[in-house]
Amino acid sequence: MPDDQFTTRRWRVVGHSVRGASHERAGTPNQDAIHWLPASSSDELPLVLALADGHGSAKSFRSETGARLAVETAAAVVRDFLKVQTESLSATKRMAEEWLPGALVRGWQEAVAAHLAAHPLSPDELDPPHASRHANAAAQIDSSNSLVAYGTTLLVAAVTESFILYLQLGDGEILNVSAGGEVSKPLPEDARLFANETTSLCSPDAWRDFRVCFQVVSHAPPSLILLSTDGYPNSFLNATGFLKVGSDILAAIRAGGLDAVNENIAAWLTESTRAGSGDDATLGLICAEDAQHDADASHTNEDTAGQNRNDAKTGDAFDGA
Amino acid sequence: MSMRPGGELATRPLHFIWMADCSGSMAVDGKIQSLNTAIKEAIPNMQTVADENPNAQVLVRAIKFSSGAQWHVSQPTEVADFKWDDLTAEGVTDMGRALSLVAEQLAIPPMTERALPPVLVLISDGQPTDDYASGLKAVMEQPWGRKAVRIAIAIGEDADTEVLQRFIGNPELKPLQANNPESLVKYIKWVSTAVLKSASSPASQTLDSATPGANVPIPVLPESASSSAADDVW
Repeated sequence: MPDDQFTTRRWRVVGHSVRGASHERAGTPNQDAIHWLPASSSDELPLVLALADGHGSAKSFRSETGARLAVETAAAVVRDFLKVQTESLSATKRMAEEWLPGALVRGWQEAVAAHLAAHPLSPDELDPPHASRHANAAAQIDSSNSLVAYGTTLLVAAVTESFILYLQLGDGEILNVSAGGEVSKPLPEDARLFANETTSLCSPDAWRDFRVCFQVVSHAPPSLILLSTDGYPNSFLNATGFLKVGSDILAAIRAGGLDAVNENIAAWLTESTRAGSGDDATLGLICAEDAQHDADASHTNEDTAGQNRNDAKTGDAFDGA
Repeated sequence: MSMRPGGELATRPLHFIWMADCSGSMAVDGKIQSLNTAIKEAIPNMQTVADENPNAQVLVRAIKFSSGAQWHVSQPTEVADFKWDDLTAEGVTDMGRALSLVAEQLAIPPMTERALPPVLVLISDGQPTDDYASGLKAVMEQPWGRKAVRIAIAIGEDADTEVLQRFIGNPELKPLQANNPESLVKYIKWVSTAVLKSASSPASQTLDSATPGANVPIPVLPESASSSAADDVW
């Protein structure tokens, strides 16, 4: 399925996650997660980036773990799915839309089951202290609905030689930025994601709630793809202010290079959560190398081990071509 | 490179609206004075909660209803600047008019989608004298009306708890029955602290359209408030 225009492109991924300002005050951990594959330097495609936002509610008390399991599982499941696709684009698209969401949910459920087997729910978790209890009977967790304890969203973008695949369950944002700086959303809005409520990997029939976009890149593919958890867009006064992030970051990449942008992402996210939503904030970027052509040519392709971080640390990148 | 990308940053607004019954019956046995006192005492508590979470911009307003309804505090006011002028009681109980006024303000715009769920506190000692159902329908037609935290306080045994229950719209959450000034103070304090704190949390909840009010967990009532008081006067 290769496309001559597209196979010449090289891609890099960077990203960071920071603990929300309100989480710092409350002493709760960063419940977002980010992970990408390949885990080390490689010219290999597909390239898969996954983000997750653990719910952090009283009944999702293991959502930090749930988010981590979600991104690790999703990156592997999507990579493995894409590596074996040898059929036509239309067949791959159909499989991505009809089979992949279920596979992602099953993979996460299996990972959660394994974690639960190794770490059973403790009496303290099942009977929290008075201060953290709520009147809602639905807040109670038992063995029949233990997946809720790990509840999380999931966002995935995967780049191949001939198409880009986006999958999203729950809140958060995925943006495309064209070479001309135009910002667009590849996925449709989900009007149900409102007033703190989100679809979730822990919900019954979660696979039905995935939004999927299969983007053939025969011409004019995006130069930059942004994935973020909702703590970042919710920190802006309005939607326009958040969309401007896309064009501003592309301009920054062209001015100073992706490495320089990467060095600043954690600080930008920290400033945003402190002055904005207070929620955990995570941002992942997939950047076409030719989008950086105005940048300093001295860029060196420093590669790193696979990323899976819940803390604001120096971010790294790898190449895929 | 230190230039932060994107537009202006902002904390998330949380609209808190008192809806107070000022009908003539509220003048009996000092109910309206007790309500004025309870809300005045609650303001410092609200300010403390707001200070503890600077990422939520708590904005307070108030509606009074008797023969008609009008804004007692019309502008969304930062809780640090919020002041309570005493209400007086006279007239009938046009609750539906008050609900209609709230519904207008829950539309998008003036509300924004990124707001935190608003908190509506309805306080009444009697039965509606107008078409409350139309006002409630108008509230529930707004997305923020359906997703608002709706708390009701019944003052005295003559309050129409069935109507208040319909306003709440969540069978797991009952109207708070205040039959004396002490219990009224406790309920007002609870809603202005524990409920406000819960509503200002950014924690996500799994989508559950079958459970009204599931988007904001309601804290348990303090033990002393949920037990019956010995000195009921209303």
